[in-house]
Amino acid sequence: MSAMNAKKLDQLGNNGMESLYPEQIRISVGMATCGLATGAQAVFDRFEDELKKTGFNAVLSKTGCLGFCQREPIVDLFIPGVPRLTYVEMTPETVTDFMDALENRKIPKDNLLCQYDKELLLDDVFRKYDLTEKQNELSGTPLYEDIPFFAKQQKIALRNCGIIDPGSIGEYIARGGYRALFKVLGGMTPEALIEEVKNSGLRGRGGGGFPTGLKWEYTRRTEAEDRYIVCNADEGDPGAYMDRSILEGDPHSVIEGIIIGGYAIGASTGFIYCRTEYPLAIERLVIALDQAHENGLLGENIFGSGFSFDIQIREGSGAFVCGEETSLMHSIEGVSPEPGNRPPFPSESGLWEKPTNINNVETWANIPAIVIKGSSWYSSIGTEKSKGTKVFSLVGKVRNNGLVEVPMGITLREIIYEIGEGIPDDKEFKAVQTGGPSGGCIPSKLLDLPVDYERLAEAGSIMGSGGMVVMDSDTCVVDIARYFLEFTNDESCGKCTSCRDGSELMLKILTRITEGDGRPEDVDFLLELGEAVTDASQCGLGQTLANPVLSTIEYSRDEYDAHIEKAVCPAHVCKALVVYSIDADACTGCTLCARNCSAGAITGKVKEPHLIDSDKCTRCGVCYDVCNFNAIIVE
Amino acid sequence: MGTNSAKSGAVLVVGGGIAGIQSSLDLADSGYKVYLLEETPAIGGIMAQLDKTFPTNDCAMCVISPKLVGCGRHLNIDLITNAELMGIEGEAGNFTVKVKKHPRYVDSEKCTGCGACVINCPVTKIIYPVEIDEVELSKKDRDIVDNILEKHVDQQGNLMPVLQEIDKHYSYLPKDVIRYVSTKLEIGITDIYNIATFYNSFSLTPRGRHKVSICMGTTCYVKGSEKLMQRTCEELGVEPGGTTEDLRFTVEGARCIGCCSLAPAIMIDDRVYGRVKLNDLARILKDYE
Repeated sequence: MSAMNAKKLDQLGNNGMESLYPEQIRISVGMATCGLATGAQAVFDRFEDELKKTGFNAVLSKTGCLGFCQREPIVDLFIPGVPRLTYVEMTPETVTDFMDALENRKIPKDNLLCQYDKELLLDDVFRKYDLTEKQNELSGTPLYEDIPFFAKQQKIALRNCGIIDPGSIGEYIARGGYRALFKVLGGMTPEALIEEVKNSGLRGRGGGGFPTGLKWEYTRRTEAEDRYIVCNADEGDPGAYMDRSILEGDPHSVIEGIIIGGYAIGASTGFIYCRTEYPLAIERLVIALDQAHENGLLGENIFGSGFSFDIQIREGSGAFVCGEETSLMHSIEGVSPEPGNRPPFPSESGLWEKPTNINNVETWANIPAIVIKGSSWYSSIGTEKSKGTKVFSLVGKVRNNGLVEVPMGITLREIIYEIGEGIPDDKEFKAVQTGGPSGGCIPSKLLDLPVDYERLAEAGSIMGSGGMVVMDSDTCVVDIARYFLEFTNDESCGKCTSCRDGSELMLKILTRITEGDGRPEDVDFLLELGEAVTDASQCGLGQTLANPVLSTIEYSRDEYDAHIEKAVCPAHVCKALVVYSIDADACTGCTLCARNCSAGAITGKVKEPHLIDSDKCTRCGVCYDVCNFNAIIVE
Repeated sequence: MGTNSAKSGAVLVVGGGIAGIQSSLDLADSGYKVYLLEETPAIGGIMAQLDKTFPTNDCAMCVISPKLVGCGRHLNIDLITNAELMGIEGEAGNFTVKVKKHPRYVDSEKCTGCGACVINCPVTKIIYPVEIDEVELSKKDRDIVDNILEKHVDQQGNLMPVLQEIDKHYSYLPKDVIRYVSTKLEIGITDIYNIATFYNSFSLTPRGRHKVSICMGTTCYVKGSEKLMQRTCEELGVEPGGTTEDLRFTVEGARCIGCCSLAPAIMIDDRVYGRVKLNDLARILKDYE
């Protein structure tokens, strides 16, 4: 470990600048989990082979996720003197053409998505590109901000994701990293820092929405010998993955945020509690922590300020309830991870009964930006009570899947229809589920709802961690409600009767409805039961598990009624209520469905229309998925 | 009075509430043998559930606790709990009663009332019978576990990281190893099982060499992950959560692996596959031996 000072920080930053914008061509491949899942490793390997084979002079590097997961694997190309370019949907085959073009001193045109005329670095410095030189070659290539997916986005928490190499501390510093820490330790008092965060209006991005500065203040105010900082990276909500992306793409921003928080509240130790389902995020965090140690950004006497701080990683082991703060602390302590009572709040008595401040990954990633650019800049973004930006994972039945960071107050319609470019296959929008299993489904009549903490709560949902699952007319809301109850029932720790047994009973009733055995009184009973569970449970899991049921009943009661009164599933999802048959006119007798039917329910000769035996049919839907002629009818 | 009119000298008190308890104590103190019959598993009744008693606002527990203990320890009182009175014959002074005793599933003679079973119930929490003899681990296992323990020796709250490393090494938490860890870390074995059975990613039975996690997150579910699960299980001949006989694969449903934009997704060991189609499964699985 060597001591860190301003000069060394500049030097590291300069090195990073050189590796971000080198004298030669730089090719960077997006290698976060989403990229890897679509074959980024193969693309990277092919680049490596080609470079070795041809001896072409270029730097090959790995970056995180740019957010446009729909079009992964994404490759960034930097040629000195030319705007930075982004390529999408790369494959090993397109890599060969790509390299051929480069060798012929041409700009590859296939798979090209956009160009950047300027790039914003964190400290308000724009890196401008000269557009004149290669203008002819790039004419017709849209600018980054003209791509619908990016146009309405404003990246603060995701500022470095997909741009820097997450394994390089220099590149992070080059884009303004660790300057906030330097500024804070160089002369800000903890009180002034807390005031700044309070003024920024930043609220907890994990879902609770508690003002971050206030939480810090409470923790600092509690008298104690030692205090702890915790970063909640136990992103358990199905449908949300922004924390994973930040940790994989820009781990240093979180680490810097945590160190600043540690200084503010007077802590000496921080914990990052990350779920075990994110192996890559943990791997990159370990590397980043080592680098911070090596460069004296963690450990004793940081920046010679006398402030010492260290961070440990703790891995979860697959329990949803551990995302709840008291439960998470129990898990770190190694005792039974059931939620505890609040009060006392963690800010008074948390880890090992010491005052503890817990914030979510995204919250921490926002901190350095607020410190550098000031609270008034941050609070100028967003709505009256919800300031700044929020990252949403826009997924499900929407054309552009991915991570989007938008200012608070943007409408759902803008997110789904402009950034997401609508529903694929011209299907009809039905609802959008926000906030995971604790949230609710928002129907199409509320599409113009501005997204912030209060408005979403008024609509019966929550901001939550920012999952946004879009559903079309092929999705059955009763089935979705049942799905969430199955999840929460499974994940309920069993401490409170209302949650343990209430979720069981609600699940039983919902299952009954989806099987066509619903009773007329079921819906009213679900409403009553939902309220009881909400009122009587101790932690967030129990208090919110009824939301998916209550909101779907409120907005789509007719669908419940169709299941109960007519035994019909309007979306043709609930297995017991649908019948599969084959349209004899459309069937070509290709036998594909018969070969794929695991129940052996499909019979027929080659080139003759097939038949489904509905007694044997398990309604798995495989035939529907494999048929190339749309000959399977679901009623 | 006939032959069975001889007074028996024993009394049956029906109902172990505060009235039954007090009667039993008074009778027992005056020399009668008392059988105190109670329907629930424990005496105490309603009063044991109260905070204060009317009208004096006396603390209910303070009043009843000494009596409960007194009943339990009195040599003249036999408690028959968890039992019902089925029939009664005879006359004053000499009755014969028929009592139906419900099974307790716990040997009350041996039970010390430590409460460990309560902490570990209900149902999903499996308890191995605790044997008292010294834990015998082979030298190899001992070296492995000692090594893991060494790494975390000074860490506050080290149980979780230790269990995670053991689980990773053995692919499950072997019983003997857990008992060894219990003695080494001086953490009660029930506490360790409490943790080991709470989290989804710990297993008490050996798992396959490769873990197939089918993502059951919302987006994957909406995009048909149930079919993927069904097909995978058919392909490998296991139930969800099961392990193939050759210990090649364990198939589990995962609660969101954070790859929602590429749903439906599956994760095998640490590798993620996105937009998986039913027909891809066989090909993907083939790569793992």
